[in-house]
Amino acid sequence: MGLLSILRKLKSAPDQEVRILLLGLDNAGKTTLLKQLASEDISHITPTQGFNIKSVQSQGFKLNVWDIGGQRKIRPYWRNYFENTDVLIYVIDSADRKRFEETGQELAELLDEEKLSGVPVLIFANKQDLLTAAPASEIAEGLNLHTIRDRVWQIQSCSALSGEGVQVRLWRSLAVPAGHL
Amino acid sequence: MQKMLMYLWGFLYNNYLRFWLKWLLRLLTQKCELQRVLEGSKAGARRTLSIEHSLESSKNKILRNAVHVEEAEVEKCVRDLMKEKKIKQKDTGFKTDLRISLLQISGYKKLYLNVEDLRKIPYDSDNEEHEDQLIELWNLLMPHENLKARITKQWCDIGFQGDDPKTDFRGMGLLGLMNLVYFSKRYTEEARQILSHSHHPKLGYSYAIVGINLTEMAYSLLKNGALKSHLYNMVFGLPQMEHFHQFYCYLVYEFDKFWFEEEPESIMHFNHYREKFHEKIKGLLLDCNVILTLGDTKKP
Repeated sequence: MGLLSILRKLKSAPDQEVRILLLGLDNAGKTTLLKQLASEDISHITPTQGFNIKSVQSQGFKLNVWDIGGQRKIRPYWRNYFENTDVLIYVIDSADRKRFEETGQELAELLDEEKLSGVPVLIFANKQDLLTAAPASEIAEGLNLHTIRDRVWQIQSCSALSGEGVQVRLWRSLAVPAGHL
Repeated sequence: MQKMLMYLWGFLYNNYLRFWLKWLLRLLTQKCELQRVLEGSKAGARRTLSIEHSLESSKNKILRNAVHVEEAEVEKCVRDLMKEKKIKQKDTGFKTDLRISLLQISGYKKLYLNVEDLRKIPYDSDNEEHEDQLIELWNLLMPHENLKARITKQWCDIGFQGDDPKTDFRGMGLLGLMNLVYFSKRYTEEARQILSHSHHPKLGYSYAIVGINLTEMAYSLLKNGALKSHLYNMVFGLPQMEHFHQFYCYLVYEFDKFWFEEEPESIMHFNHYREKFHEKIKGLLLDCNVILTLGDTKKP
């Protein structure tokens, strides 16, 4: 339902704003992804204390992207940013197998949040440029994504570092389900 | 419209007027621009910035290249330059002053390259030297507590994000670690004090992460030339890595003070206050007489 309403909004007003929330564990690559989306330099990134926000024009609409730090200590603050979220992007470091369980738990908790109920979720299986990265299919299985029934979801492999899979997929995640309307 | 006029003026000035003005002044004073600058102001940023500008906008290749001179070539460069400008070689005052300015100008560029080299080295947990520095950092900050393992939640106590600091260095690489270690080693007492501030229940922040963030601030100020006035006033010769570390120490010390004065609502507002602090520092650096060092009461 969530995505449907966004698409209605997008259709009726081409300059409509979309609020995108970027979450994930620390070192998942959220800020790199954000800067990549905004076509900014990604070589001087430091760990995020607090959050970053950028507005990006894409395919005729304005994406307001909120990138919130993923450090355990500040995860309790995530909930302060849930309100009015149109799309949740959850970023996973596909090479950090030791923390798959932790990232799965955090995602499961997010999907249980009332304020995020029905909000479409796009999962980025990031860092595909690394040899040790797990493929998106393996991550989807490990996280039991197929059990998600209450919202539109999608998993995409990408490399925020090289930019591969970032721009196009974000657009597609919004646009593809339009075909189902 | 005003912008265009300014642009036109800049174009005319740089391409024609400046030349004739210099020619006229030379005729009147019997001195070239470099001589006028060196005699007209005392050693420091104002003088060296004027020399730098004069050399960089010169049409003469020898003068233009002088800003990139290597340390070993400085004497020769000064002699060549004096010959080119027909200044008597026995004018030792001019010689000494120009030498200092050239060392400052080319040294700044060299320092940036050295800092950039360190930044580009990623933290490597298989490298013993890197690991030793990381352990040293722990021991300096937490003298009464041993690390129970290399991978441990204890790292969060000094403000890393998780149980292995290696990923926290990111875009700042080894430079971030060296800055942290330098501050803890040189100003151990202050570092421990700031670390304990960072544990404040309400206004606390992550010490190491904020430190790495301030490395980025120091680095970008160096890169865009904003640190010139500070370094030209501070070092009458070649600026060294040490001077970069010193400036970093100033930032850490001052940021901690700033943060507690501002009393932010929570750590989530970090970037807002970081930017505010950044603007404040940029403002201070605009002053030609600026020198930013940790207070006078500190060890020399």
